[in-house]
Amino acid sequence: MADEDFEPVIIGFCCNWCSYAGADLAGVSRQQYPPNLRIVRVMCSGMVHPNLVIDALTKGADGVLVCGCHPGDCHYIDGNLKAENRKEAIELLLEDFGIEPERFRLEWVSASEGPRFAEVVREMTEAVRALGPSMYKT
Amino acid sequence: MAVKVAEEWLNICGGCEVTILDIGEPLLDLLGELDFVHMPVLMDHKYFGQTGEKDQMEIPEADVGIVSGGVRNEKEKQVAEEMRKKCKTLIALGSCACFGGIPAMANMFPLEALYQKVYRESKTTDAADTPQENLPPLLDRVYALDEVVDVDIRIPGCPTNPALIVKALTALLKGEPFEIPERSVCDECPLKREKKAAGGEIKRTLESMEFDQSRPWDNTRCFMEQGYLCLGPVTLAGCGNKENSNGEEVTVPRCIKGYMPCRGCFGPIRKGASPLVDMMTAISSIGLDVKQVPDRRALLNRYIGGQNRLRPLPVRPK
Repeated sequence: MADEDFEPVIIGFCCNWCSYAGADLAGVSRQQYPPNLRIVRVMCSGMVHPNLVIDALTKGADGVLVCGCHPGDCHYIDGNLKAENRKEAIELLLEDFGIEPERFRLEWVSASEGPRFAEVVREMTEAVRALGPSMYKT
Repeated sequence: MAVKVAEEWLNICGGCEVTILDIGEPLLDLLGELDFVHMPVLMDHKYFGQTGEKDQMEIPEADVGIVSGGVRNEKEKQVAEEMRKKCKTLIALGSCACFGGIPAMANMFPLEALYQKVYRESKTTDAADTPQENLPPLLDRVYALDEVVDVDIRIPGCPTNPALIVKALTALLKGEPFEIPERSVCDECPLKREKKAAGGEIKRTLESMEFDQSRPWDNTRCFMEQGYLCLGPVTLAGCGNKENSNGEEVTVPRCIKGYMPCRGCFGPIRKGASPLVDMMTAISSIGLDVKQVPDRRALLNRYIGGQNRLRPLPVRPK
């Protein structure tokens, strides 16, 4: 199924305080990572409800990456823990919609982890590329 | 002059017709202004003339058409189209007409798999071919009425609240618009929310709920907070009737009135919402264990499987 020309579209939700800054650092320190990620800045990973993830995956995205602060580092104290609680609901919903679990990832990236952000994006892009296009893509 | 009404039932149990009769005394006031010209459940009126002499299906012209039931087979599709042609205003009555209803749970499987299960794999039935003679062929899935023809007014519910039918008909007679406001069942539910996360196991409704029928409503704690699955947060309000509780006027949703959690028959609060996704969010937010929701897809789409909400899972071609 792996189409040579297939370029996955991955939506990334990055929290304003850690992961977006981490992505910024990856950029200014000239870390190389695939351009398949489309970043949406959100105030906190805790505001990424399952419907945002499912909507993205059923309306054309091949993967969704949610990035937040490390546990304990959240600017809003426990927003990232809320995101973690929702992770299970999202995984069950992926099953209900017939979407492969690898298409969704929740990762903690701090503002100083530019190289790690690049690494996460590389891993995710390769994993989704191996899966092929989303079956909801028309 | 009386307003002509045509009523038709498609893929339905007949409960919505009972609801029309269940209107009670207000029906007597309405009847003077209504003239039922076609209603298979009450009147002997055949589609192809009384002796079957005509070639074309014929439903008399009417000002208001009420259609209950979803569209499952070719015959129902033709009847729905004929109703739309002959009626100036079309009302979709009940959850089956609005969203596909209970029968639309079959939309989780392809038609061939259903035939296979019912006619050949069922243990209690002798294996046979799929019957075809003298039967209208089934469509590929169960459709809500508005997927087949344009609908002007939607009155969801399984069955719906008789008061809503009166409200819709009265509005039509007066030439006013009728719409159910976009509010959730929780918005009007009188039960007490302590705003504390419930946490823990999801209970079955067989297990005893805590309530006291002799005291006003706000002495009973929200069923969701007690750990029962209540679809109130993701369901359109409108089923409830007003009543007096402790000197205050409250609207009590009908399942809550019977001390049962909401089952979600009024469908999503607004067009395009997905109760399955929203409910899973609500369950995880309140701290209940999402893994314990049994048969999630069917349970949280119980009345609303039409309009592509339930469909066979996509299969990757090998």
